[in-house]
Amino acid sequence: MSFFNISKLGRINGSLKKIVELPRYVDQNEWLAVNTFDFFNYINQFYGVIADFCTTRDCPVMSAGSNYEYTWTDSQKKEKNVKYAAPKYVDFVMTRIQNSLNDESVFPTKSAPGCEFPRDFINILRSIYKELFRVLAHIYWHHYDKILHLSCEGHLNTLFAHFICFAREFDLLDKKELAPMADLIAELEYQMK
Amino acid sequence: YTGDGDSNAVVNFERTPEIYGKMVSDKATAAKFRLEHFYKSQVSECADRLGRLRNLEEKLRNEMAPPDKMEKELLALGKKESDFLRLRRKRLGIDDFINIKVIGKGGFGEVRLVQKADSGQIYAMKTLKKSEMVMRDQLAHARAERDLMAEIDTPWVVQLYYSFQDPTYLHLIMEFCPGGDLMTMLLQYDTFSEDITKFYIAECVCAVEAVHNLGFVHRDVKPDNLLIDGTGHLKLSDFGLSTGFYKTHDSSYYQRLMETTGAPFDLDTVKAIDLSFTQKDRIQTWKKNRRAIAYSRVGSPDYVAVETIRQDGYTKEVDWWSVGVIMYECLVGYPPFASQNSPQMTYYKIMNWSEHLNFPEYSMSWAAEDLIRKLICEPKDRIGANEIKSHPFFQGVDWSSLRSIRPPFVPELQSITDTSYFPTEDLMDIPDQISYGQGTIDEIHKDLAFVGYTFKRFDYLSRKNAI
Ligand SMILES: Nc1ncnc2c1ncn2[C@@H]1O[C@H](COP(=O)(O)OP(=O)(O)OP(=O)(O)O)[C@@H](O)[C@H]1O
Repeated sequence: MSFFNISKLGRINGSLKKIVELPRYVDQNEWLAVNTFDFFNYINQFYGVIADFCTTRDCPVMSAGSNYEYTWTDSQKKEKNVKYAAPKYVDFVMTRIQNSLNDESVFPTKSAPGCEFPRDFINILRSIYKELFRVLAHIYWHHYDKILHLSCEGHLNTLFAHFICFAREFDLLDKKELAPMADLIAELEYQMK
Repeated sequence: YTGDGDSNAVVNFERTPEIYGKMVSDKATAAKFRLEHFYKSQVSECADRLGRLRNLEEKLRNEMAPPDKMEKELLALGKKESDFLRLRRKRLGIDDFINIKVIGKGGFGEVRLVQKADSGQIYAMKTLKKSEMVMRDQLAHARAERDLMAEIDTPWVVQLYYSFQDPTYLHLIMEFCPGGDLMTMLLQYDTFSEDITKFYIAECVCAVEAVHNLGFVHRDVKPDNLLIDGTGHLKLSDFGLSTGFYKTHDSSYYQRLMETTGAPFDLDTVKAIDLSFTQKDRIQTWKKNRRAIAYSRVGSPDYVAVETIRQDGYTKEVDWWSVGVIMYECLVGYPPFASQNSPQMTYYKIMNWSEHLNFPEYSMSWAAEDLIRKLICEPKDRIGANEIKSHPFFQGVDWSSLRSIRPPFVPELQSITDTSYFPTEDLMDIPDQISYGQGTIDEIHKDLAFVGYTFKRFDYLSRKNAI
């Protein structure tokens, strides 16, 4: 993982902390919701850039390098630890996240009284962040060459750094989940000191 | 290479984006562009939010507010900020508005009276077709309009609350001015008395000054863009041609016009023809075509300053020329360079303005004529806001309280959706519903031009009941 170029991170370096922190007097759930909405949209977009290359043939398993393989569990369909090709896996998770973002009972958008965030909102977020992280990890491990050819690495790194920073600030990702990207995260942390 | 010099590996990496084809590299460009825009707006939103908090804190400190009141107000601001964040997740779309009626048409779009489905609030919605704008290089136009309206916060300018887009159209949701526009009023009354002219031109001066004070030049001040709000006061709208950000599309337009026309008109003949008409006849001819011109792409050329046509100078003086033309029109019934036959003729007259600026006998006072002559003249001789305001024509005008006096005409409205001040019978052929036929632009790079177009105004939240 030593070929990541983080030099372009400079662009938002100083501001990252500021744009991550909960603004004073602002409702935390509202802050988490709007940021999740943005992360989903931008991660989706970067996956879209390489989507043509993330095929069942080239990515028969959803993985982040050879050490980390992700399986899919759908509690509703009682499917457990099913292996899916990366494109299928990504399609599943992104659709699920999209549906939950559009679900008024999870991400309320109306301003009427009673339109509130669910009690287990934070748990829902944690599962969203876990999946978004996996999509990012997959892009890094298996499609970084395209990202480099297309000169997207500065942008992707910025988005990744922002995502990690945010997840950390609000404890949205388990430490063990981060393992496949540990090197890059360490590097980012060093750069942003 | 596996060393720890991260950037070296990248330096040695030869990028060949071509291998992926145009679709992919366009997608990449789009993603990067959007992300950059996202971070830019994140940073500025963050700063704005902090600014609002600091302002409130300072205000409360100055008021020496007791701690509990202080806490209460800060929490209230926090609530507003939270609501605003919530709104950002909400995709307002065309379905959130009910079309009531088409109320206006300009060169590039239609304006409808709409009602927000959930709140019942009334707005004016301007709809612009994306494909046409890309084709006609009108992007800068929409962008400038959006930016300017979004930035401005003065009672003299029509307030933009919200904007959104779909694949076919851009929509601007703005404050509805139920009194119609000055063009419609002039068509109805032919001329105004000096007192009434004094009021409207004074307000117009304030509106133009407000735009200038914010660092913009309007460039398209004309009666069509002077709207009358519910209280009868004026508001300036339509920043189609405003500079400040972008070069505009139409400088070459004038160029072409002048090249194709050369000097085809015999000035003496033109003058003779003009003089053979009585003022009344001229008002009638002017009125006959006025609305058709307003609806056309080119728009009315009558208010354009001489230096704009010469293409040397787009500074704020051009707006004062336009004010002079409007004032003349209020008193005489048609603008000074109106011509019966063609816009080219009007341009030609403007180029030779000194020979064509005539004042019909008994049409106005000495002071009025003097002011007009100080506005319709070479830019170096033209007077600016301060001199205009102290001109004898405006004697007795209290500039600071203008907006709080009772206007000569206050719209009498039967309901919040009353459109009786709009010439809607001329707009019958435009369907009330927006049609989604062909003309969608879906190519990524074209769509990109519209990134950043979606806008939500923070302080509508502080206005009661807005959206
Ligand atoms: N906020 C508003 N409230 C009420 N009426 C409006 C409003 N905005 C526009 N109108 C009506 O619609 C007409 C056309 O609007 P406008 O001039 O903005 O269109 P346009 O397409 O931008 O024209 P152009 O760009 O050619 O100047 C106005 O003359 C006015 O009658």
